[in-house]
Amino acid sequence: MKKKCIAMLLAGGQGSRLYALTQQVAKPSVPFGGKYRIIDFPLSNCANSGIDTVGVLTQYKPMKLNSYIGNGQPWDLDTSTGGAYILPPYLGAGEKGSWFRGTANAIYQNINFIDEYDPENVLILSGDHIYKMDYSDMLREHLEHNAACTIAVQQVSMEEATRLGIMSVDEADYITEFEEKPKHPKSDLASMGIYIFNWEKLRKYLIDDENDPNSSNDFGKNIIPTMLNAGEKLFAYRFKGYWRDVGTITSLWDANMDLLTPETLSLYDSSWPISSRNDTVPPHYVGENAEIIYSIITEGCDIDGRIENSVLSSAVTVEKGANVLYSVLMPGVTVKAGATVQYAIVGENTVISENAVVGNPPDGSENWGVATCGPDICIKESARIPAGAMVYTGEEEF
Amino acid sequence: MTDAKGIIFAYSASPDLGDLVKQRTAASLPFAGRYRMIDFSLSSMMNAGIFDVGVIMQRDYQSLLDHLGSGKAWDMDRKSHGLRILPPFGLPEFHHGNYSGTIEALSAVITYIEESRQNYIVLMLGSLCANIDLTDALKKHIASGVEITAICTEKNISSQHYKYVRGEDGFISEIRYSGDAEGLTAMECYIVNKKFLVDMVRNAMVMNQFRFHKEALADFFKDGGKMGVYMHEGYVSFIRTVDEYYQANKDLLKPENRKSLFPKDRPVKTKNNEITSTLYGEGADCRNSLIADNCWINGSVENSIIFPGVAISAGAKIKNSILMRACSVEEGVELNCVIADKNVQFSEGVTLVGSDRLPIVVPKGAVI
Repeated sequence: MKKKCIAMLLAGGQGSRLYALTQQVAKPSVPFGGKYRIIDFPLSNCANSGIDTVGVLTQYKPMKLNSYIGNGQPWDLDTSTGGAYILPPYLGAGEKGSWFRGTANAIYQNINFIDEYDPENVLILSGDHIYKMDYSDMLREHLEHNAACTIAVQQVSMEEATRLGIMSVDEADYITEFEEKPKHPKSDLASMGIYIFNWEKLRKYLIDDENDPNSSNDFGKNIIPTMLNAGEKLFAYRFKGYWRDVGTITSLWDANMDLLTPETLSLYDSSWPISSRNDTVPPHYVGENAEIIYSIITEGCDIDGRIENSVLSSAVTVEKGANVLYSVLMPGVTVKAGATVQYAIVGENTVISENAVVGNPPDGSENWGVATCGPDICIKESARIPAGAMVYTGEEEF
Repeated sequence: MTDAKGIIFAYSASPDLGDLVKQRTAASLPFAGRYRMIDFSLSSMMNAGIFDVGVIMQRDYQSLLDHLGSGKAWDMDRKSHGLRILPPFGLPEFHHGNYSGTIEALSAVITYIEESRQNYIVLMLGSLCANIDLTDALKKHIASGVEITAICTEKNISSQHYKYVRGEDGFISEIRYSGDAEGLTAMECYIVNKKFLVDMVRNAMVMNQFRFHKEALADFFKDGGKMGVYMHEGYVSFIRTVDEYYQANKDLLKPENRKSLFPKDRPVKTKNNEITSTLYGEGADCRNSLIADNCWINGSVENSIIFPGVAISAGAKIKNSILMRACSVEEGVELNCVIADKNVQFSEGVTLVGSDRLPIVVPKGAVI
C-alpha cells in the first residue's frame, strides 16, 4: 500500500550522559513530566499529524521500550493500515549482520521495511526530544518547496550554535551550507534532528553512503553534506515552538521544571494531546499534613509531606515530615519521613530512607549540579547525597 | 481457563439517587474521583479470569455504553466470548416499564446464559462497591458441592434488607427481609451452577414470580434448599441513595478502605483517558482529599473528592464535597457538603452549604 509519508523513529540511543537513569533502559523510555516517557512526544506528534505508520528503531536495552510501545494503542496507532513497529537490528540470510552503526545505517538496515509501504516521503525522528510539532505542516512545506530533504531548524543563540549542527540558508530558506559544531557559526539556525526526505532520493544516498568505507553513516555528518554537495534542494523548516533535547541531567531537569509554567509548554491542550501508556491507579491522596504548591502530582501518589516546585510521576509516596523541593520523582518513588530531596532527579521505585538528604540548592559554585539517584535503589537512612552526584545500582555505598 | 461467566445487573434505576441518575443508571455513576460504579464488578470478574461477561441494561444506558466501549479496559474485548451488552430484546412483553425483578431480567437473557460454555454463573450488581476475590469464592463454591453460593459481609448495612441465617452445618437455610434482622448481610452477589439457575428462572417465570430474593430464593429454602456462603472480608457499600453515595466516597479518604478496595494484586480498571497530571498553583492548600489527574488546583480543598479536569481558582474553599469531571470553581467560591455533577460552573463569590446528612446535589452542567 502506497503511503504519502511514514516515520522512522531513532530510539536506539544509550543516553550515556543520563547514565544513572539509562543503565537499564533506553533513553526514550525514561519517564518525563508526570505521566509520560520521552518517546510519547514524537509518537503523539505522529498520531496528531496523521502519520499512522511509525517504525521504531531500537537497539540499546530495548525490553522496556518494546513492551511500552506494544501495538501502539495508546497513541491510536493500532490501525489496520498503519501501526507502530519495533525494528531491532536483524540478520539476513548468509549475512554477517551488525548493530546499527550510525543514524543513516539504522535506516539503511531497514530499507526493506520502508519499501513495504512504498512511501513518497520518510520522516526521520529522534526519541529524545520534548516538543509538540505538526509534521503535516512540515510535510506540506517540504512538498511545496520541492525539496529532496527538509530539515526542521530552530533559532538559537550564537553561543549555543557552537555546540549544534548549524544551517546557513538563502533568502528562500534553502540550505546553502551545513556545519557541525562550528567554532565561528555563520548562522543561528540549528538542526533539530528532524528530517523529511523524498524516499526515492534518500534510498539512493543511503546505498551510496553504505558503500563508502570512510563514512560514519550519520545523517548530520555524511548524508546531508553529500546531498548538499550533489546540488540537491535542501529546505530549512523554521520551527518556533518549544523544543528541548533532554540528553543531559540538567536539560532533563530543566524541561521537567518548564512544565510548572504551562505558558512555556502546556500539556493541557486537548487539541494536541500527548498520550502515554499507564496503569489504572486511584486518584492521588493528599494527607492531613501535606503542603503542595507549584507542583505536578500524578494519580496513585500518596502525599503527606511538603512538595514545592516539583514534578511527581504516578504512585509516588511522600511521608509526613519529608520535603521535596525543585525535584523530579519518577514512578513508584518513596520518600520516607524526615527525608529531604532537593534539586534532584530520582529514578523509578527508588526509596529515600528516613532523614536522608539528596541534593543541595545552587550555591553558585562551579561544581554544583542536580543530584541523580538511579532507579530501584535504596538511599540509606540519614545518608547525604551531594549536589551533582549520581548514584545507581552497583555502587557500594550511598 | 475459568469455568465461569459473569452477569452484571446494570438496569436498576435507583430513584433515591435523584438528579445523580437523571441521565444514567447507578452502574455508570462516577465514583471515587475517576471510576464508575460498574468498574468494581467488571474488575472483580476480570481479576478472577472471567472475561465472558454479559451486562444487562434496560434504559438510560447511553453513558454506560460510552464507558464500556468494547470492554478493552477490562481485557474483555475478545473475538468471541468477551463483553456482551444485553439491552432489552425487542419482544413486546419487555417493553413495559422496568424489569419487575432480577428473575425477569435474567429471563430476558436466558438463552444467552443457557448457551454459555461455562458451568458456573457469577451474578453481581453493577452498583455494588466492593472488590471481591472471586477466584477464591469460585474455588470454594466448586469444592462445597452446593448449587448456589451467596457472597456475604459481616458489615451491617441498614438499607440492605436481605439477611441470611447460617445453620450449624455452615450452609444458609433461611433468608430474612429486614435490615435490622440478625444474620449475614447479602451482597446480592451469587455464584450459581448454570443448570440450576436456568431451571430456577424458568420455573419462577411460569409462576409469574419475578423476584429473586423474595420469591425464587424463598421457595428454594422452603423446599429445604441449602445455600453456600462466602464471606467477603473487605470494604463494601451499596450505592442506592444520595447519602450512601456521599458516605461511600468519603469512606475512601481512609487509607484502610482504599487499601481494601484497590489492592495491588486485584486492580480496579476503568476507561483510561486522562492525558496529563494535576497542576498545583501558588494558592493551593489541600488536605485529606482524593484528587484525580488533569486538574488545576489553586484554592483550598479539604475532605473532598475531585474528579479529572476540575479547575479551582485562588481563594476558593472546597470542604466535604465531591466535584465531578470538568467542574470549574471561580475565585472566592465556598462549598461545603456539595455534590456537583459533571461540568458544573460555580461563578465568582458563590457560597453553597449543605449538611453531612443532606448534601446539596447540583445537576450536570448547571451554572451557579
